[in-house]
Amino acid sequence: MAAETPLVEMRGITKIYPNGVVANREVDFEVRAGEVHALVGENGAGKTTLMKILYGLEQPDGGQIRLRGQPIRLRSPNDAMRWGIGMVHQNFMLVPGFTVAENVVLGREPARRGLLDRREAARIVQALSAAYGLQLDPDTRIEELSVGLRQRVEILKALYRGAEILILDEPTALLAPQEVQELFRAIRSLTAQGKTVIFITHKLREVRAVADRVTVMRQGRTVGTFRVGEISEEELAAQMVGRSVLRVVEKPPPQAGPPVLTVRGLHYVDEVGRHVLRGVFLEMRAGEILGIAGVEGNGQSELVEILAGLRIPTAGEIRVDGRPLPWGDPRRIRQMGVAHIPEDRLRNGAALTASIAENLIADRYFAPPFSRKIGWMDLKAVRQHAQRWMAAYDIRAPDPQTPAGALSGGNLQRVILARELSRRPRVLLAAQPTRGLDVGATEAVHRFLIQQRQEGTAVLLISADLSELLALSDRLAVMHNGEIVALFEDLREVTEEEIGLYMLGLKRREG
Amino acid sequence: MPPEAFPIEQADRAAVQAAWGRQLLLDGLRTLGTVGAALGVGFLITLLVSPRPFSAYAALLTGPLTSRNRFGNWLEDATSLALLGLALALVFQARQFSLLAEGQLYLGALVAGILALHLPLPSGIHAAVALLGAAAVGFLYGLIPGALKAYLNASELVSSLMLNVVAQRLYELLLTYWLKPPGAGYTWSDFFPGSAILARLIPGTRVNVALLIALGLALLTWLLLYRTSFGYALRMVGANPEFARYAGIPTRRIVLFAMALGGIPAALAGAHLALGIHQRLILSISTGLGFEGIVVALLARNNPALVPFAALLYSYLRVGGDIMERTAAVGSDLVRMIQGIIILFLTAEALAAWAQRRLASRRSTHVGA
Amino acid sequence: MSELDVLQAILSAAFLAGILRVTTPILLPALGGLISELAGVINIALEGTMLVAAFTGVVVSAYTGSPWLGLLAAMLASLLFAFLLAFFHLNLKTDLILTGLALNLLASSGTIFLLFTLTGDKGSSSRLASLTLPALDVPALASVPVLGPILNGHNLIVYLAFGLVPLVWILIYRTPYGMHLRAAGAHPEAAASAGLNVRRIRYSALLLSGLLAGLGGVYMGMGYLQLFQRDMTAGRGFIALAAVFMGRRHPVGTMLAALLFGVAEALANQLGNLRIPPQWVQMIPYLATVLALAIYAGVQQRRTTQRATRFPGGPAT
Repeated sequence: MAAETPLVEMRGITKIYPNGVVANREVDFEVRAGEVHALVGENGAGKTTLMKILYGLEQPDGGQIRLRGQPIRLRSPNDAMRWGIGMVHQNFMLVPGFTVAENVVLGREPARRGLLDRREAARIVQALSAAYGLQLDPDTRIEELSVGLRQRVEILKALYRGAEILILDEPTALLAPQEVQELFRAIRSLTAQGKTVIFITHKLREVRAVADRVTVMRQGRTVGTFRVGEISEEELAAQMVGRSVLRVVEKPPPQAGPPVLTVRGLHYVDEVGRHVLRGVFLEMRAGEILGIAGVEGNGQSELVEILAGLRIPTAGEIRVDGRPLPWGDPRRIRQMGVAHIPEDRLRNGAALTASIAENLIADRYFAPPFSRKIGWMDLKAVRQHAQRWMAAYDIRAPDPQTPAGALSGGNLQRVILARELSRRPRVLLAAQPTRGLDVGATEAVHRFLIQQRQEGTAVLLISADLSELLALSDRLAVMHNGEIVALFEDLREVTEEEIGLYMLGLKRREG
Repeated sequence: MPPEAFPIEQADRAAVQAAWGRQLLLDGLRTLGTVGAALGVGFLITLLVSPRPFSAYAALLTGPLTSRNRFGNWLEDATSLALLGLALALVFQARQFSLLAEGQLYLGALVAGILALHLPLPSGIHAAVALLGAAAVGFLYGLIPGALKAYLNASELVSSLMLNVVAQRLYELLLTYWLKPPGAGYTWSDFFPGSAILARLIPGTRVNVALLIALGLALLTWLLLYRTSFGYALRMVGANPEFARYAGIPTRRIVLFAMALGGIPAALAGAHLALGIHQRLILSISTGLGFEGIVVALLARNNPALVPFAALLYSYLRVGGDIMERTAAVGSDLVRMIQGIIILFLTAEALAAWAQRRLASRRSTHVGA
Repeated sequence: MSELDVLQAILSAAFLAGILRVTTPILLPALGGLISELAGVINIALEGTMLVAAFTGVVVSAYTGSPWLGLLAAMLASLLFAFLLAFFHLNLKTDLILTGLALNLLASSGTIFLLFTLTGDKGSSSRLASLTLPALDVPALASVPVLGPILNGHNLIVYLAFGLVPLVWILIYRTPYGMHLRAAGAHPEAAASAGLNVRRIRYSALLLSGLLAGLGGVYMGMGYLQLFQRDMTAGRGFIALAAVFMGRRHPVGTMLAALLFGVAEALANQLGNLRIPPQWVQMIPYLATVLALAIYAGVQQRRTTQRATRFPGGPAT
């Protein structure tokens, strides 16, 4: 089994960000050679920061790192790679437009007489693929690969650089259950060949499935290290949160009303010619949460953007209350009562340099009470509006003039929710609404979604978190490859595994 | 993104507002400091080149105040630059990089000149019509890069730079082959009739009503940006165009009109030069003024209310430089060099200031947090 | 001169050869602009670089009596100038466009300032006996049927310019450095995580682009013309950037776009013989750029909508 002296030791690591937040507080962490070590904790616990320090992306303010007993300094990823430490990030670091081989060898290209040796690069990729069972075609362009395959490229990149220790940051965040199994198989194959794997996760089931030991972090400190066999999931969860966590959402019984939004035969071909949506049929009913499960990249994002007016569909029919959707026109769509919580709140959910008050009126600034006919704005009305909704949605900031960029993720999401929900929408499109939020903020979002459901809104919930979908949805659809491949009316009997089969297209419901 | 629990959320409101106030003051001081540093570098260069550097630099620094004439030069130049600064500030607030102000200036001067010479009208109305004509052509010309960007997503930087040259050539062409009196030695038009000239404000100088127009436009532009729904939409498009689209703001129309509206003050700057200063059309009516407007907008941080002050500051240096050249025989190109250095230092400073502001807003304003 | 004469002149070998000459000072900075743009740092100061190089080449060749020393000095000056841009943007983090504009202003005023200090002349360096770089007479080229007289006898730098196109292509697409360049521009975070020093790559890209633009400037002062004049580059540094975008950020496309501008300019010079005011004719390349920009963008848009309408069952309701 593992040797006695740890392979990697991190002692007393402290990291304080310029904004004053203490990300790591005297953290001790050690990993033994050849093991699979899970690092768990909630969002903001400090796990990613710790690993970024190990990979040289961040510098610690205090503490020491030792490799095989020898103290080392990691000033950059280059240093880390030289010591055999490799990292696979949550957001893949792959260059668009490059092939698999080009991405793998970038930075250490095989060259002959000054020119790139492409044949050698392809050979390297094939050799690594075979050695570790991570099949990839060297000449495929990155854009054409699925998320799971792109992750393989990232792993090959690290292996090519001679990584003996692999850090995986939330590797299963974007994978379907079966792809997760593939990944675990790969991890076991890696350790069988002498590699050491550290992986960051907040999914406790994964820990049990593949890890040898697990370290729990909470609020910047390590809470304990345990052998996986010796601790239960409930105990782990308790350690992570500091209290007993029950994934139960208070949800009154379903009372679905008439259909509000119907989608028939929706097709969408994107700018590069990919047939992203292949005939989607959907019906959203008043007072009901319709969840859509699916691996990211199967058309869910595009579906929501089409419904919100941010993309123009290629063919098909969309109706709200019987009237056709004015596609491509977010203003008119909003006027029909459609609200949208976007997937990427920083990209298009808010204007970070504008104030909270300004962000709250972005969809209604042109109408009374905020603007008069000639366009003159009533700033007092804007301020009062902001004060009212900041109170209603518990948005924590000293002043409505505070720029939105100064807010935390959870608070910013509240601003977005306040804006979207204060209109009493008929339809609410919620795309990954709890992404990047901590437990408290996530609970708040869930409460707001349920509240909308109670008030008769038809809610569409897209999420990568199956347990969230199962807890909140009244009906659950599964999207794969641009189609709805399953629709579960009764969620009491469905398991995550079964949904996973549909998510990967291994099963289809007819009709 | 940094971890949760930002201190600003727990900060006391009064403390935050006080911090913002302090920040604004620091910003202003820092801007002045940067200009000072650039002037320092210019002085070093002057030391190398002029036999009497101190008197030369004194001419630069105090020149505009030494006579009524020179004071007038300062104000009249500031008028042009304020108008140009407004034009660019408006466009930059929408996050567009159209540099069409130079071309709009030429066309504004051209149309004002044509209307002055060829459309006889009683005084009072004549000048007003000429100004309106200039404003109209500036607006229309701005529609071109605006439409190209808004509806075809074509780079407004490239199209505006190209169209600037087109406008300048058109100006030269019409001046040389139509408006210039036949047989004249220089390429100038006739003097405009008295009915078309802008009334002088300060006797003994060329300062004219355009100064008041510039101030008025500064106020109007500020009101437009911060008190109207169009201005709000424009600022949101500038802050985050994707967000603006998502929220239903008609971004394409906003971009189009931002660039078109920016043409009005720019063209009026040309009309000011033609009708107010020279009172006829001359060949080199602008010496890259449109680009100097960029510096003014930069100094004012794209805030229309600050543009007149920024224009006054920058013009002071330009006029001082001219005086330095005339009295101390130091080439005017030296002043242009100093201006280039000012821009360099300003952009370095602007970024440092912005970065420091971001850092400070995240640091706790609450003692003992 | 009648219209027929002009037409004949346009189709003559001399005219076509002239196109190559006129294209060179656009092509060289365009290649430089391409390299810097691919790395993610667009070089707005190509114009100023060309001025600096032209000035340095003219002055040094006049004072040393050697065109080669002039060339060398011009190259060093271009590197220094590009280094300033790189330093301000990459180290001090200033805005790239504003810094470029400021440097252009400095170049324009600084060169005249120095010229005045050295020669007392504010307009041109005609008082200086500056030299030119040699033209090449290649018998092998001269003997090519039809194209011979068009291809032969050009200044050394003209051949260099067009010869650099395939070399730049190889650099960008077939060397590790080219991969680094493209990675730094397409996804700098990915490049950084692969261990590349993005800042160093961008530094080198800017220096290289300065060198290429400098060559273009040298050609202006020591080949195309034989002196330095105030603002003699007349916006070529900006047209070069337009050529890069029009060429879809690809070396061959950039060359073709530069040729297009060259043709427009050469035509403009010819049409001047028809008693048309030169300004109409001077406008042509610029209007052509705007038109090309619009057409190109329009084509992009149509392609997207066409894909939608060609779909069976479409368009959507």
